[in-house]
Amino acid sequence: MLQLNPQTLKKLRRFREIKRGYYSFLILAGLLLVLAFGELLVNSRALIVSYDGELFFPTYTGFHPGTDFGLDYSYEVNYRDLQEKFNSQGGEDWVLMPLVPYNPYENNGHGGMFRPTAPSAENQHYLGTDTTSRDILARLFYGTRIALVFSLAFTVWVYLIGISVGCAMGYFGGLFDLFFQRIIEIWSNIPFLYMVIIVFSVIPSSLTVSSRIGILLAVMVLFSWTGMTYNMRTETYKEKARDYVAAARILGASDSRIIFRHILPNVLATLLTFMPFVVVSAIGSITALDFLGFGLPPPTPSLGELLKQGTANLRTAPWIVTAAFTTLVVILTLITFIGEAVREAFDPKKFTVYR
Amino acid sequence: MPMTSRISDRLQQVIAAGLMAILLTACSDSNEGAAQQQFASPIDNSAEVQAYYAANPDFFGFTSLEDLPQGLVWEDGSHMSEMGSAEAKKGGTEYRALQDFPRTLRTIGPDSNGGFRGLLLDNTTLTLGHRHSEYFDFIPGLAEAWAVSEDGKTFYIKLDPKATYSDGVPITVDDFMFMYWMYRSPYVTAPWYNNYYSTMFTNITKYDDHTMSISIPAAKPNGEAQVLGLQPRPRHFFSEVGEDFVDRYQWRFAPTNGPYIIEEEDIKKGRSITLTRDPNWWAKDKKHWRYRFNADKIRFTVIRDTEKAFEAFRRGDLDQSSLNLAEYWYEKLPDDAPEVASGYIHKSVFYNQRPRPPYGLWINTARPLLDDLNVRLGISYASNWQLVIDKFFRGDYSRLSGRQDGFQEFTHPTIKAREFDIDKAQEYFAAAGFTERGADGVLVNSQGQRLSFTLSSGYQSMQDVLTILREEALKAGLEFRIEVLDSTASWKKVQEKQHDIHFSAFGAFLEMYPRYWEHYHSDNAYDQAFLEDGSVNPERQIKTQTNNLETFAIPEMDEMIERYRASGDRQEMIDLAHRMSEMHHEHASFVPGFYQGFFRVGHWRWLRYPENFNYKHAQSAGELFIHWVDEDLKRETLEARKSGKTFEPQIRVYDQWRED
Repeated sequence: MLQLNPQTLKKLRRFREIKRGYYSFLILAGLLLVLAFGELLVNSRALIVSYDGELFFPTYTGFHPGTDFGLDYSYEVNYRDLQEKFNSQGGEDWVLMPLVPYNPYENNGHGGMFRPTAPSAENQHYLGTDTTSRDILARLFYGTRIALVFSLAFTVWVYLIGISVGCAMGYFGGLFDLFFQRIIEIWSNIPFLYMVIIVFSVIPSSLTVSSRIGILLAVMVLFSWTGMTYNMRTETYKEKARDYVAAARILGASDSRIIFRHILPNVLATLLTFMPFVVVSAIGSITALDFLGFGLPPPTPSLGELLKQGTANLRTAPWIVTAAFTTLVVILTLITFIGEAVREAFDPKKFTVYR
Repeated sequence: MPMTSRISDRLQQVIAAGLMAILLTACSDSNEGAAQQQFASPIDNSAEVQAYYAANPDFFGFTSLEDLPQGLVWEDGSHMSEMGSAEAKKGGTEYRALQDFPRTLRTIGPDSNGGFRGLLLDNTTLTLGHRHSEYFDFIPGLAEAWAVSEDGKTFYIKLDPKATYSDGVPITVDDFMFMYWMYRSPYVTAPWYNNYYSTMFTNITKYDDHTMSISIPAAKPNGEAQVLGLQPRPRHFFSEVGEDFVDRYQWRFAPTNGPYIIEEEDIKKGRSITLTRDPNWWAKDKKHWRYRFNADKIRFTVIRDTEKAFEAFRRGDLDQSSLNLAEYWYEKLPDDAPEVASGYIHKSVFYNQRPRPPYGLWINTARPLLDDLNVRLGISYASNWQLVIDKFFRGDYSRLSGRQDGFQEFTHPTIKAREFDIDKAQEYFAAAGFTERGADGVLVNSQGQRLSFTLSSGYQSMQDVLTILREEALKAGLEFRIEVLDSTASWKKVQEKQHDIHFSAFGAFLEMYPRYWEHYHSDNAYDQAFLEDGSVNPERQIKTQTNNLETFAIPEMDEMIERYRASGDRQEMIDLAHRMSEMHHEHASFVPGFYQGFFRVGHWRWLRYPENFNYKHAQSAGELFIHWVDEDLKRETLEARKSGKTFEPQIRVYDQWRED
């Protein structure tokens, strides 16, 4: 449907020429790739265990009770201890741990207490630990992953709903348009934050963490798609009146063919330029909600929760807020750079001064 | 009742934004003037009150001194040592912080049960008598002396003839009679008061202006506490109580019998409020009262964020700060912090003895799987509270042994909470059919059910505790799904009995013996829990809006609770309390958590405390107002801070009442 026509190719070339945005895009893409395989880098489960001449790859499999490796407990193996044990025994058995050998949930308590400890390469807490001795790097890593996936899913849904409703309003016009505009006006006047708080207080807690995150996503999408319709509606109105649409109609094209083959491809370019900013705002709102305590259910790792801990311990554990803040700034900056570059690349006028 | 203050605190936060808007508009319209005008039409309810007395002749009695029974043994608590220190200096201004501005100056009715109520009423005014915080016996307040009838149901009271309100009007028996009218009236919109003052008392009789008797329905070991805890209402001030009571009295400071008054110009809505000491207070020379309430002014500034309030304390803008949490005591104000090391801020720990709030896991036994005793026992063994206490609370807190800790003889002497034990937990889970572990390490039974429960709580600050418990329980194959709600939503949830396992506590008052009916009687678990023949009613429905959070319903327990409630014999009650504790322990529907056997504060060196710091049963440093502000020391300290002069650091431990 969306073939790379010469115009698109030109836009992509323009995008590549804007170095700041292009490199930001490469970095972010690389980051997403790393995050996708995060379990191999930041995890309390070993990459490879060699025990009794047999190789185990526990990262993506079910859990191994301690008894699998000759330990006397039936809960999940502590691979760091296992590694130490094998090393001290000096036998054939060995364990290969990931770069950061902690998961984001365990309370490590080096030094006997659950308290924030400063970054240290020696115990492999490269960014220190939080107030209950959980590894900050691990929490930051998985928190970022959740935030990014969340915001991408958010963007996709907002676009899907916003485009279909907006396009329909613009294309069909008349009573349909009038009716939906009123609905959107009413809908967008419902205070979003209060709705999140209310909805979150009534959803049953028996649901799994991932479905609760899903509900949060649904609520946020439900209250955010309206903004997209305004642009879409006016753009469609504009395109609809163009000659090529009239020509298509005379040739006997159906409504769906006109919308999908003719109008959408022409409208999409402008909408694409908003996309990075929607992602930014999604990351912003999920972090803010977490900061306020209404976001992802605990103990899910999240940037907002780290920021909250960090501000509460500004004086005693500055490394918490530093890590979370830096991550947030870097990610938001990267996406904003990409967004600017996309906007510029898609601008038909090459030399525009934004006022 | 006990959690309501916390809830209202929380509610205030939630709607703080809306409230601020209201406050701002309230401030703008030249404050009180408009509000006063609105209620220009005065009401006089005295005719209504008199008619009410006449309509209830059994309750309101009027007679003369000749009818006072002969041979009464009058008590006046004079054998107890005086509270407060003779060294205390009057004067100075004490600076404190409030998290929220009080939403009303009323002490009854909607929104009145917030944190500021204690400063308006509970801790700063006199009732007839007060428990001495060391001896647990009563010292005189408004009463000069009291006596009890032979059947233990009627208390005779002589009021202190010197007692007046802050506006100079003497306190008489009529104010007590009026109090009953007011607390029973629908105007105050306070159902708890309506109920309590209608059912827990049977008669008040006036002998003369300063002599009365008050009767209660049944003789109880703590009947004295019930009667001596009463407080009159100034009828000359509340003569306008009527349909519009809630609005009419919203921001009017009632004449008090206590030392502190609030001037109208000291109410800066949303920002600060100041208490001013009444130099002509009637009890200023009275024993137990003269060395307390020393500061001339106590100024409360609203600081919504706890961290910010703590920084204000470190700057010296606030005089003292609680350091109960380990992170404050060890991290945020460690012994080597500059202010502490140079002796400007003193740190004090005081070990107390009093009923402990039962922090723990309340298991709803009406839920599927949780109705199985083996599952509950497994959960008890899979909850690693000791780790939370040792590592998160740094070993400062202690493990709670059961639901009723700190009631002296009434607390069971030998029952201990079950220790964390993975093997035992797995044994019990296996007995309940959970033998296999799933791919994530959580136990599964033969029907494929996972051993997974929601662990909810309304305490945002305790989220870390729950995550530690979760990680440890996973080792035994038990999954806790953590749900931290805001406190209003969480309270609603448990009141509707929608919880699986809830982490919470109820406020524990300084009482002689624990209450069982609210939490363990089947009347509060189900509508008609049992049929006539004692068997379980198959159609019973869970009863909502009660404090029986464990849905605890056992006929033998009901029977014991009824005997306990009816009993006037102390020893019988103690035996029953122990048997009930045993039954509760065996039922394993509550996993005891922790208690804090002390309180600790940091205070600038100009804020002085008596030699022993505080009294055995005190709950917090400030509640008895035995401290004082030394303005000379304050000047000296502030100058020293500028010039760099230091003092001997003071980290004091008062462990004369330490329990373990």
